[in-house]
Amino acid sequence: MTDAEQAREEVAEFQKRIGALREEIGRVIVGNREVIDGVLSCMLGSSHALLEGVPGLGKTMLVRTLADVLGLEFSRIQFTPDLMPADIIGTVVLEEGAGGARQLEFRRGPIFANIVLADEVNRATPKTQSALLEAMQEHRVTVGRTTHVISEPYFVLATQNPLEMEGTYPLPEAQLDRFFYKLEVPFPSRDELHAIIDRTTSTQHAQVKRVLTREQILQMQALVRRVPVARHVQDYAIRVLQATHPTGEEAPELVKRFVRTGGSPRGAQAMLLGAKVRALFDGRFAASIDDVKATALSALRHRVLLSFEGEAEGVAPDRVIGEILKKLPGSKE
Amino acid sequence: MASSDGIALLRHAARRAGRRARAAAVFGRIALLLPLPLGYAVLVLTLVKALRLDTASQRGWWLLGLLPLVIFLVGVGRVLFSRRPSWQGSIALDQFHGFHDRVTSALSFSQVPVAERTPLIEAAIEDGVALAGKLDPRRAVPVGLPRELAVTLGLLLGLGALSVLEVQKLRQLPAPPSFEPMVMSADDIELFRDVAKELQVKNDDPNALVAVHRFNQLVEDIAEHRLDRHEVFQRMGDLERDLKDNLELDRDARDDGLKGLARELEKSGLSKAAANALDEKRLADAEKALRELAEKLKKKEGRPSPAELDKLRQALEKASQSSEQRARSIDQRRRELEEEHKSLLKKKKSDQADAGASPDQDKKLADNERRLEHLEREKNRAERSQRQMSELDKQLAQAARDLMRDAGQSAQDLEQGAQDINRMAKQETSEEQKQELLKKLQEMRELMRQQGKGGKDQMQRLQKFGQRARGQSGAGQGKPGEGQGEGQPGGKKDGPLRRGSGPGSVSIDIPVPQSGSSQGQGQPSGDKPGGSDPGSGPNYGTGHDPNLAGNATDLKGKTTDVTAAGADTGQGAASSQVIYGAAERGFVGRGYKQVFTDYQTVAERALSQDQIPSGYRFYVRRYFQLIRPRE
Repeated sequence: MTDAEQAREEVAEFQKRIGALREEIGRVIVGNREVIDGVLSCMLGSSHALLEGVPGLGKTMLVRTLADVLGLEFSRIQFTPDLMPADIIGTVVLEEGAGGARQLEFRRGPIFANIVLADEVNRATPKTQSALLEAMQEHRVTVGRTTHVISEPYFVLATQNPLEMEGTYPLPEAQLDRFFYKLEVPFPSRDELHAIIDRTTSTQHAQVKRVLTREQILQMQALVRRVPVARHVQDYAIRVLQATHPTGEEAPELVKRFVRTGGSPRGAQAMLLGAKVRALFDGRFAASIDDVKATALSALRHRVLLSFEGEAEGVAPDRVIGEILKKLPGSKE
Repeated sequence: MASSDGIALLRHAARRAGRRARAAAVFGRIALLLPLPLGYAVLVLTLVKALRLDTASQRGWWLLGLLPLVIFLVGVGRVLFSRRPSWQGSIALDQFHGFHDRVTSALSFSQVPVAERTPLIEAAIEDGVALAGKLDPRRAVPVGLPRELAVTLGLLLGLGALSVLEVQKLRQLPAPPSFEPMVMSADDIELFRDVAKELQVKNDDPNALVAVHRFNQLVEDIAEHRLDRHEVFQRMGDLERDLKDNLELDRDARDDGLKGLARELEKSGLSKAAANALDEKRLADAEKALRELAEKLKKKEGRPSPAELDKLRQALEKASQSSEQRARSIDQRRRELEEEHKSLLKKKKSDQADAGASPDQDKKLADNERRLEHLEREKNRAERSQRQMSELDKQLAQAARDLMRDAGQSAQDLEQGAQDINRMAKQETSEEQKQELLKKLQEMRELMRQQGKGGKDQMQRLQKFGQRARGQSGAGQGKPGEGQGEGQPGGKKDGPLRRGSGPGSVSIDIPVPQSGSSQGQGQPSGDKPGGSDPGSGPNYGTGHDPNLAGNATDLKGKTTDVTAAGADTGQGAASSQVIYGAAERGFVGRGYKQVFTDYQTVAERALSQDQIPSGYRFYVRRYFQLIRPRE
């Protein structure tokens, strides 16, 4: 078997596993295919996602189901204003040993799990948020003089309610940038609502089974990283990112008027990693411009900061990014 | 399929698609920019056609058209020669076939060195190569006609239509010459016919008869409507010029000749009476005196003494030579002066060459030229005089020669001379007739001028004037003894001034031409006051403040009816009655003729002596023309 054939098999296996994953999740979660794919992309891209949606749309359910089918350790943190960093990281406690000897021992917080659901992350104080975000970025936690590594895969899913802004602490731009994707959970359609109600108001409860092991997940994450990206696709992603800046060469008029700051390089990384995942989802061996386009909204919407005029005019970041994708030609080189 | 072959196929398809994309872009740009020069061409062509621009003006507009043409060429050139994105063709293929960049990625990965290729890259290349057979560049990149080409097509059609369109320009054709004959009333025609007839009867001078004939012919042509206004005036002008030509010169020359003759004849006692008569231009007396002298010479008794005869001979001889001598002496002086002038000119030229002519020289030359001109005129006059007197001179010279040999023969010569003087006298009469003819021509011209200058209104006014002059009633005629008119100073505009003339008469509208003001205080009979607007004219009748005229005439208690004053006393017809009756009877009758002559004489005297507005002169004369006695 040649390397190419082996790679082809790997991709096929990836696609098969994703199919199984989707099927299992679909047993619990109704619809929301885009959100599920987005969450999976974040996980396979070894990064984290910010879910935004009104309460009751199944955000927590999605994350819990994901943890179940992946067979990973899961913890949920409900963020509140009085939540302290130690509450999520863990703390050092004095513990008496078997010999009666007492020693300081670090007791891990809920952050030490493979999948962490940070519910309503914007309700905690910035200090607590920072503690979470450090762990997200570094995949490790330092307490005192001891650094504790979080086991892989590590995946944080934070949620926030866009309506209730009273008593919240909106995440600063620097912290928002740590999230791979910002996924907006849409309100379900009529059919989806029927299905949701049917499933949740009867005695039958869907049981999901574990379809992936930790190792398999890590393999899939590695395969994503190996997916090649042609130069023109990468160039396109960079041009899209540059176009989000008002000073960008190809920035459309809308960006120049209403955008204060564009996306960081993490935005391009997110777009390309997401594009790779999407290519594998489709069984392709390389990412395409279409994949970049498909991931651009999720990867950039929380990274594009509107100016005062943009906010006053009610311009949504999605509209800005949509305009960029519409105006930017496929290839320039 | 080998990977390299597949990549070649992919590359070929991508290139083809790229070329098609470039062609489509070029067509699109052409369609976008071509309306610019075409639109400009349409604009210029429209201007050229509509405004009929000449070649020089067109050139400027067409040169300006280079600007849109250059814009078009640069725009198209940039698309044609600009560097296109490397993967334009393959991306177009991917997008059309929905291959998600598999072809482009394969082409891109094929450039990666084999050693550096990962299994996934190899798989991606093979994946792309597998699609090579499915690529269709023609459908992927259609080179269709851009939508904007419709505008270009429309402009091209417009341009074609404009180029064949000929703007019809209305050319002003010269109006066909309209012949509007000069119209003169039958009464006026008759008047001028009478004048011609009268002059013809009076005259036996062939020159004068020719002039009269020409005048008569002119009148007949006007009567037959054969002449328009322009021709009438031209012919009158010609006739007047011919009549005037030399009339005065001839008279002066003859006077000079006769004076010279008288001066010489005065030296002899025998011819003194004739000399005095000649000097005073009494040609009939001079003729008579010469005949008496001839009789005296014929008689044997009482014949003059030889000394007297010798003196007479010398006088006759010198008299016969006086005209010739005078002409000769003038010619001599003229020649001398001419010589002097030439020398002066010569000197002036040489002085100019040296240091410039002095002002004295210029003055002398100018003076010289003036004297030369004067002498030239004198010479012409003397020659003319010599021609007129040539017959008489010959007779006098012959008489002088014969006087010493045969007094009888000399007497005959003097009689011949007397006849010549008689001929000259007749010539003078003929000149008077010519003057009369000239006067009539001027009257005729004035009549036509008056008729022509005011248009229809003036014609109507003149007709009304004519009707009233003949006693026919017209509009606005007042009843006898009714109303009173008081003319106010005439205004600037033409307006009739009505003058009352007493009870039983008719008022006559006098169209006052130009800006002459009128001042009138009408007598009772006018139906309404005359001219109204005060005004100012250049000459006469400038008008005045109405207050200066004093109070308006109170006619009720102060006016006198003229008719009543002219009541028939049984001792003869009153003039007023004659006139009144004459109008009714058609201006005939001997009595009327006598009265008319009296009145016309007075009127003419007043016209020639008094200061009368020129506009009125015409109407006075016209009035007398209209009421002239008829046979």
